[in-house]
Amino acid sequence: MSGHDSKYFSTTKKGEIPELKEELNSQYKDKRKDAVKKVIAAMTVGKDVSSLFTDVVNCMQTENLELKKLVYLYLINYAKSQPDLAILAVNTFVKDSQDPNPLIRALAVRTMGCIRVDKITEYLCDPLQRCLKDDDPYVRKTAAICVAKLYDINAELVEDRGFLDALKDLISDNNPMVVANAVAALAEIQESSSRPIFEITSHTLSKLLTALNECTEWGQVFILDALSKYKAADAREAENIVERVTPRLQHANCAVVLSAVKMILQQMELITSTDVVRNLCKKMAPPLVTLLSAEPEIQYVALRNINLIVQKRPTILAHEIKVFFCKYNDPIYVKMEKLEIMIKLASDRNIDQVLLEFKEYATEVDVDFVRKAVRAIGRCAIKLERAAERCISVLLELIKIKVNYVVQEAIIVIKDIFRRYPNTYESIIATLCESLDTLDEPEAKASMIWIIGEYAERIDNADELLESFLESFPEEPPQVQLQLLTATVKLFLKKPTEGPQQMIQVVLNNATVETDNPDLRDRAYIYWRLLSTDPEAAKDVVLAEKPVISDDSNQLDPSLLDELLSNIATLSSVYHKPPEAFITRVKTTQKTEDEEYADAGEQGYSDSPAGVAESGVSPPASTAIAQHPAARQPATPAAPALPDLLDLGMDNSNSAIVSADQPAAPAGPPLPVVLPASSGQGLQISAQLVRRDGQVFYSMMFENNSQVPLDGFMIQFNKNTFGLAAGGQLQVPQLLPGTSASTLLPMVLFQNISPGPPNTLLQVAVKNNQQPVWYFNDKIYFHVLFTEDGRMERSTFLETWKSLPDSNEVSRDFPSSVINGVETTLDRLASSNMFFIAKRKHANQEVLYLSAKIPQGIPFLIELTTVIGTPGVKCAIKTPSPEMAPLFFEAVETLLKS
Amino acid sequence: MISQFFVLSQRGDSIVFRDYRGDVPKGSAEIFFRKVKFWKEDGGEEAPPVFNVDGVNYFHVKVVGLLFVATSRTNLSPSLVLELLQRISRVIKDYLGVLNEDSLRKNFVLVYELLDEVVDFGYVQTTSTEILKSYIFNEPIMIDAGRLPPLGPAAMFMQGTKRMPGTAITKSVVANEPGGRKREEIFVDIIEKISITFSSSGYILTSEIDGTIQMKSYLTGNPEIRLALNEDLSIGKAGGRSVYDYGGSAGSGAVILDDCNFHESVHLDSFDVDRTLTLVPPDGEFPVMNYRITQEFKPPFRINTLIEEAGSLKAEVILKIRAEFPSDITANTILVQMPLPTYTSRVSFELEPGAVGQTTDFKESNKRLEWSLKKVLGGSDHTLRAKLTFSQESHGNITKEAGPVSMTFTIPMYNPSRLQVKYLQIAKKSKTYNPYRWVRYVTQANSYVARI
Repeated sequence: MSGHDSKYFSTTKKGEIPELKEELNSQYKDKRKDAVKKVIAAMTVGKDVSSLFTDVVNCMQTENLELKKLVYLYLINYAKSQPDLAILAVNTFVKDSQDPNPLIRALAVRTMGCIRVDKITEYLCDPLQRCLKDDDPYVRKTAAICVAKLYDINAELVEDRGFLDALKDLISDNNPMVVANAVAALAEIQESSSRPIFEITSHTLSKLLTALNECTEWGQVFILDALSKYKAADAREAENIVERVTPRLQHANCAVVLSAVKMILQQMELITSTDVVRNLCKKMAPPLVTLLSAEPEIQYVALRNINLIVQKRPTILAHEIKVFFCKYNDPIYVKMEKLEIMIKLASDRNIDQVLLEFKEYATEVDVDFVRKAVRAIGRCAIKLERAAERCISVLLELIKIKVNYVVQEAIIVIKDIFRRYPNTYESIIATLCESLDTLDEPEAKASMIWIIGEYAERIDNADELLESFLESFPEEPPQVQLQLLTATVKLFLKKPTEGPQQMIQVVLNNATVETDNPDLRDRAYIYWRLLSTDPEAAKDVVLAEKPVISDDSNQLDPSLLDELLSNIATLSSVYHKPPEAFITRVKTTQKTEDEEYADAGEQGYSDSPAGVAESGVSPPASTAIAQHPAARQPATPAAPALPDLLDLGMDNSNSAIVSADQPAAPAGPPLPVVLPASSGQGLQISAQLVRRDGQVFYSMMFENNSQVPLDGFMIQFNKNTFGLAAGGQLQVPQLLPGTSASTLLPMVLFQNISPGPPNTLLQVAVKNNQQPVWYFNDKIYFHVLFTEDGRMERSTFLETWKSLPDSNEVSRDFPSSVINGVETTLDRLASSNMFFIAKRKHANQEVLYLSAKIPQGIPFLIELTTVIGTPGVKCAIKTPSPEMAPLFFEAVETLLKS
Repeated sequence: MISQFFVLSQRGDSIVFRDYRGDVPKGSAEIFFRKVKFWKEDGGEEAPPVFNVDGVNYFHVKVVGLLFVATSRTNLSPSLVLELLQRISRVIKDYLGVLNEDSLRKNFVLVYELLDEVVDFGYVQTTSTEILKSYIFNEPIMIDAGRLPPLGPAAMFMQGTKRMPGTAITKSVVANEPGGRKREEIFVDIIEKISITFSSSGYILTSEIDGTIQMKSYLTGNPEIRLALNEDLSIGKAGGRSVYDYGGSAGSGAVILDDCNFHESVHLDSFDVDRTLTLVPPDGEFPVMNYRITQEFKPPFRINTLIEEAGSLKAEVILKIRAEFPSDITANTILVQMPLPTYTSRVSFELEPGAVGQTTDFKESNKRLEWSLKKVLGGSDHTLRAKLTFSQESHGNITKEAGPVSMTFTIPMYNPSRLQVKYLQIAKKSKTYNPYRWVRYVTQANSYVARI
């Protein structure tokens, strides 16, 4: 070969394509090869060279493997856009698949499998059948993967032609490479099929464990990952498995090590002997630590996994805290993860060493890292009671350096320490106050104000300090305003003198009249009312003892942690999210030409993937925030003291959903009365769940038939089957006697889900300022939950119907329902998000097929059978959640009637 | 399984792009690059190696300034993908001799051929250069290696002593020498990266050696090789003793590895008996053994920092480094760095009289002092005085706002662990067969930090 490949990239003038065409048809082999290279070069930089298809395919019949490979590369790229021409290549493919040279045989099936053109696929089956039984392992291992390719294009074909059995046979192949690929292919097929295809029995287990020893490193990962789904029968079997897997810990490939760790952790759950478990922990520690000597990228993955492992089994690395000390040249993403693990491993024994490190980190250059280090000190103080004092003295030292962001971060964590150890460290308040002027971050300011309010009686000039903040009250961010409001009330309750009294008036005025912020206004009104009606009660509420916060460094919910641990060595363990939260690729079996439909079918994970992505991509930042739920509590210190208000007051994060014009009277039929005036001391409430614009609302009407104006309406929902709860605040104005008001309350799902079998009971509590709390029962109309994306493509419908076991089919007769006109009925059902798919005639009966979907992507496949105009409708449904069937039937019956 | 593989230049140009499954949209390379470039608005923070955008998972590693990226939609093993990306870069380097944008572009056909054999439908098939050789037909086009910085830890031998042929590590394992015949040779490199943190009083807080025995064989016929290590080598911390006890093991005791792992070609049959490794080295560069040591060792450099305040707006920093290794050994490319207080406005330097090959700099943008020395002989010491001028009064304690002092260096023919290759035996019948054997040692600073 002459010259450099890069010359193929050189720009040519106008006649590029004709020129290439000519060269491709040259009689000289070398010239043809060069020409194909040029074509590929053009292809890789994104130029369209599809018009040369015929000419390139003509070069395919060659003994020269180098040239053949190039042509195949071209075919993979363009066959799809030229399906009619692609058929030209079929003959050569089939011929190549029987070539005496195994490389050519393998190349042919490998390439055919990559071409997603029906005509080619048809011709793939016979060669594939042969290649799966080929004498050469290279051909067999290529064929094994090819079955997975074919399954992705046409699953039915794979099953019809018996390729699955052939693939299963390959598990017993004598070549470990073939075994590994067969395992990989079967695992992938299983992933996209709902039927059991690849189940690991104790027999396959022993075969795979044997193959494990001879496999390439990558094959070992495939096999270990497949085996991790195996549940050992008893402790003895688990121990046997572990014994076979443990040598993998010594592997130089980090992926092998982590997959082995996953396998061992899983089997350990079954092992009862504490000695064995302890021994295994001991064996796992050095390889885990060794992962931290790999490239920083691998270290990051290892650290995210170790984070999970030490939460479950803190002893494994209890003595290794030093290896998590940050290196000067670690990338920031590694440092952040190390800090997290250092906090988790910090104990009374090593805290001095750890604090020394944190202190050093807190003077480094990277601001985010410094902040996290300061926070880490605070978290250690909260976690380790005996070390709290030392932590505080380190924080004070840091404050003295007077680096602005260090000071602010320190104040934030000191506030948490005060929450954790009340009345213990107030002596440092004076030092904190020195930094008052430099605070410019909302959270730091709010924390400082909280401290002043909380300890107002011990700070001589607390009123002066707070007053200095008050001047800028209107400009402060909401977080600071809320804190100022609460702190001023505390000050007033603790020192009810003239100064504070004036201050409180200014604050309350600012927070009620001058502000647009509903949170602030509501809180201010509550204080105002408390203070004006019963100052003693106000004291009880505002100055109530706060629940003690605890160490939050083991923040993962145990069930989530277990799920993540079973996903060690997968992305899930890096994002710290269950797989379904970020995997959008489901069941590729029905990938059709029409991508949009395929997408619609995946709406089950309706949470915006972007949101998942955002938090998934920035674990350090987001977890740092998420880990402080308890610590943040002091920001709303009044909250725990006001549980009687049905927990209504403070949780209004969703209030923005309610647009200003929403409370306008909803049109339509009158709402059913849920609380008659006779039982509501003159207050009558009518309400019903409705669906508008893809959202569930609670449409309500209040009529005041009493003699007094009613105001301050609040609402709360008891736990219910669907976890329906208010998605915002109830927007009802003051109701004068004899007037009424309507409102649409946005609802959210899956908040407080009641256990037990599904039912439609919705228990509601409504309160206002003048009357006792009213409780009433309403009914959840199941069809308001039907989502707009419930439409299914016909083929998807069939596929889903087939994939669900027969036990999921339920039917019921509605003897009194009548369908008079198919069209009108379908229109009506469609308006409730039940979508028509197909119909057929069966004798004199009309059979209608429809689909619907409820949130969380649970589909309902419906078959309605009836004689038009005659009472009696039979409804059969299939769904993955048959327990919802009674509710569903009720809804259908209602819809057919209306 | 992965969906796509691509290589991007530092500017974000796609140099190589291979789609294996067609389930990730084409624009993924641009989406990825934008995300990595603007991870945080100020661009200050590095993107983690694994992240998810719109349901697509992106994995990347950086190799010689290039971004090696893979995408996937499934919940696969991230360490597998990251390891694979590293291996792909190594295989390509084995073939091309030199890995950079230029060599990739010149050899794109070969690279695509490699990628098709390494990964099929997103599943890794093999990353062994040895195995790949039987399936790969394109020949590499060599680029002029002389003017290019080579890749990999062994690259440090380029500046090493004359005894070593500098071209070896930029030689393709498949391409023939211009003379036609391949030179029979084998390289065994013992590379140790050391991390030390000194406390402000000079006491060692943490120390660690990450070692690798790296091999690159150009022997024909793949003969079996025996590598003998120190006989008194032991693995695992001795019973019950924790990493923190430096006491007992100091001095000239045995070499104790905390942990080690081996390449899959290595047979350990006699390792437990006489500490020899037997292997048939595959072609290409690969680590025979990785090891980790926290046993105390003698640090090659001691760092002394003195800060004297001279009035409220001035201070003097005196940096002193002392080379504590034998005088027949020379360290190369030493760089000492120290962050100064943010309000430092000017720095004037004073080198010791007669200093050769030393340069100093004050990096205004990140307020960092840099002192570089071309060579440092064992046993010698060097001092730098830096006079600082501040734009505002210090908050009182300069040591809290400056430092720590960090060092990077390379020391050829020296390894602090004292792990040795006692002999390297090549099993081949013929008496006349006597290939070149290179056993080389080198030590590099990983995180070498002295707090002040």
